[in-house]
Amino acid sequence: MIKACKKVLVGFGLIGICTIVFGTASDVFAQASHLFRTYKREVPPKLPETPDAVAEGKKIYEKRCWYCHGIEGKGDGPAAKTMFPKPRNFTRNEYKVRSTAFSSVPTDEDLFRIITSGIEGTAMPFWYTISEKERWQVLYYIKTFNDQFRKNDAIKTVSVGSVASTPESVARGQELFKEMRCFECHGEDGRGNGPLTVALQSEWNLPYRARDLTKGWLFKGGNTIEDIYRTVSTGFNETPMGSYLEKLADEDRWHVAHYVKSIAKDMVSDVVIKARLVEDDQLPIDASDDDWGKATPVEIPLAGQIIATPRLWTPSIDAINVRAMYNKDEIMFLLEWDDATNKQEEVFRDGVSVQFPTKIPESLKKPYFAMGDSSGAVNLWSWKAYWHEGFGAIVEAPETESGEVSELNAKSFKNVTTQPPESQNVSGKGIYQNGRWKVVLKRSLKTDDVKGDIQFETGKLIPVALAAWDGSNSDTGALKSVSAWYYVLLEKPVPKTIFAYVLVAIIMGASVELWFIARLRRFPPKLEENE
Amino acid sequence: MAKKRSAFLMIWVILAVICLFMFLKYASPKVFQMLMAKSHPMPTPSTLMMWYMIMGVLAGLVYATTSNQKFADFLSFLLPSRGPIIKSLLQKLLFVSFPVLVGWFVYSWSIPGAASPVELRIQHPTLPQEFEKLENPFREKDADTQRKSIEEGKILFQTYCRPCHGSKADGNGPFANSFRLRPINFQDPGTIATVVDNYLFWRIKEGAPGLPSESTPWDSAMPSWKDDLKDDEIWMIIMGEYDTAGVMPRQREKLE
Ligand code: HEC
Ligand code: HEC
Ligand code: HEC
Repeated sequence: MIKACKKVLVGFGLIGICTIVFGTASDVFAQASHLFRTYKREVPPKLPETPDAVAEGKKIYEKRCWYCHGIEGKGDGPAAKTMFPKPRNFTRNEYKVRSTAFSSVPTDEDLFRIITSGIEGTAMPFWYTISEKERWQVLYYIKTFNDQFRKNDAIKTVSVGSVASTPESVARGQELFKEMRCFECHGEDGRGNGPLTVALQSEWNLPYRARDLTKGWLFKGGNTIEDIYRTVSTGFNETPMGSYLEKLADEDRWHVAHYVKSIAKDMVSDVVIKARLVEDDQLPIDASDDDWGKATPVEIPLAGQIIATPRLWTPSIDAINVRAMYNKDEIMFLLEWDDATNKQEEVFRDGVSVQFPTKIPESLKKPYFAMGDSSGAVNLWSWKAYWHEGFGAIVEAPETESGEVSELNAKSFKNVTTQPPESQNVSGKGIYQNGRWKVVLKRSLKTDDVKGDIQFETGKLIPVALAAWDGSNSDTGALKSVSAWYYVLLEKPVPKTIFAYVLVAIIMGASVELWFIARLRRFPPKLEENE
Repeated sequence: MAKKRSAFLMIWVILAVICLFMFLKYASPKVFQMLMAKSHPMPTPSTLMMWYMIMGVLAGLVYATTSNQKFADFLSFLLPSRGPIIKSLLQKLLFVSFPVLVGWFVYSWSIPGAASPVELRIQHPTLPQEFEKLENPFREKDADTQRKSIEEGKILFQTYCRPCHGSKADGNGPFANSFRLRPINFQDPGTIATVVDNYLFWRIKEGAPGLPSESTPWDSAMPSWKDDLKDDEIWMIIMGEYDTAGVMPRQREKLE
């Protein structure tokens, strides 16, 4: 009898293994939050810097680096035109990630690290894919573009001591962030919206954007506490990001670094946005409503729209944070994203749009994620920041104005129609606070326009995609940041009947157990031994 | 005598299963993070977790039934106890936790949860007929012309395709993370190395809209380049693309 048992068990085992194999094979869609690169700090022993090594480096450079950094290292390679920031000009000392004093050249190890790691959010790829030897060789070659390297002044200046991260240290860091006027560039909440950056960018048209310090995944020189400490100490050459080596004592630089680390967040993304059911009869259009705190936020990464002309190669909005909630009649979305400016012009205005298919797909098939296609139309809820003629060319949208909400349908980039006034059912409001737009859009779950409007149902995965415009980046029309299809799910309330099921299950479990034990005790297994 | 040897066999098996659960839930994300050099822990997917647990339980049962003696020992734990007090405590714990566990399973299965979306697709559908006959004008040319077309093609590739497919053609461009259906990694031997030049020509010219529905065109960010790139430029890009990725196209069967 035991043998038969075993056969059955082995059979089950095999079925299990097969399922596992197929189960993993179907995971083709990746999760964005796990894919960002990191700054790798380990450096292997150096290769001797010989003329041979430089000559080998030249070959590698002219195979792998020249089309961005230019054949003469001037950062003007033929492919550079679709890039922001531009590739590094190696003939100048513009090196950003260094452990050496401001305006010194980096050490060989610094170069090795940045070449190995690449720079997140820019065109600069990671090169741990080529051998360590090749990396040393190519970096010896790029050093030949700039004479300053020959003067041998690349001396590491950053100390190694550290100060533990305590609440006091973070609080002191926050004070120093004010005292040292970091906020003039990085903004009060660290969103990269300080007045000085904005002036550099929009008034002098200089290609500098202060880092959004809340997005920990976009730090060029790494986001560990040691990396941030190093950046604050040494600064980034030829950018507004200066060195605080002299202006701040060593300990204070650690405090600031701890503060920066405390506001730098990881990207928390998901494929499904869960809309929370609320009991309230009224859903107020208010971004600061307490209820939003209970809805799970999902950060959705955006890319420049380069699918159809005109293409946006250099987007400035790279993520939107979304939450949703609904009651028995209405659904409401809160969309938040960082934007350094609130400057609206007639054509170039900040905006956001939420895209749904016109009806919930029954099969896998959906409309095309970028504005639909001829066999599947999409429904767009669009919000544009306030702008008014007669106020001059550029206005700042005040908090009292809610902006312009409209509902559209599209079948392609060119085939977009605004719905007639009688079927405009979306309402909303956007406010700009401390470098962040917060836009609420609301509609009833069902509408009369069943052809043009999505009709929401609970418990179904409803495709949703987002787009956003930054007026000061000259975004307009198809020049925008876009996302892939995600899903919104109107969570069903937990039905009361479930507790009855659970009770039945427990009783059944208990009775099976009792029966088994009673039987076992009546015929103890010894009997079986004698079989 | 048998009882003396391992009256706690059942408890050991249960402990082993709990250890497995703890490992999958807490340790393995860290282990995989280290193995794959990722900066984030890699949690075990829930379906896998379920199957590993089922396997674990089955393995435990298989072990307990390797000999009649073992099986008897295994069950003996449930018999009225005359042993140490710890045994009767554990017995009671086991009797209570079984029905509770059953109840919990039923609860977690029947709460309206987020079914994760199924998104299966075929990466390489059949090439449409009108593209079958085309020839890459650069592939059979002399070495010099070939080299020039590769250089030209690389520059075009870096300008137009790099944001998604990455400058190393490894699918790691700066925009790649934003498209859930990731831009293809051309270095992967399962992608462009398994198809002929014409196939790429079709994909580049027609992009996502050209795909049949079994390849989920609605999720693909692959642009159609027919309005922006001339045919020659596309062939050059193909030359440059294979060279950058370090792979060769599949050879066409010669029907002579
Ligand atoms: C696809 C284009 C591209 C390629 C190919 C490329 N780079 Fe870069 N690289 C960039 C860009 C863009 C930057 C500037 C990023 C920034 O300013 O944030 C950069 C910056 C750098 C820096 C400066 C880092 C710092 O700390 O300031 C170094 C060093 C560098 N690249 C080395 C290389 C080497 C070596 C290769 C070839 C093996 C290479 N790059 C290939 C685009 C590229
Ligand atoms: C004059 C403007 C300015 C001031 C003041 C300033 N920064 Fe910056 N900071 C920048 C700019 C611009 C960048 C982005 C440089 C780049 O990406 O090329 C930056 C980048 C950074 C980074 C990101 C580095 C990385 O790895 O990407 C950190 C951290 C930082 N700053 C911290 C600080 C702290 C702390 C202070 C105050 C002690 C400060 N900054 C003061 C302009 C400024
Ligand atoms: C907006 C991002 C984007 C751009 C730009 C882009 N691609 Fe793609 N490409 C994708 C995605 C996503 C896929 C995978 C889905 C698919 O097969 O349609 C893909 C697939 C492909 C494939 C199919 C590979 C295979 O094995 O099936 C080829 C070939 C290709 N791209 C070539 C190119 C070339 C050449 C360019 C530049 C002219 C380019 N792509 C530009 C996103 C992009």
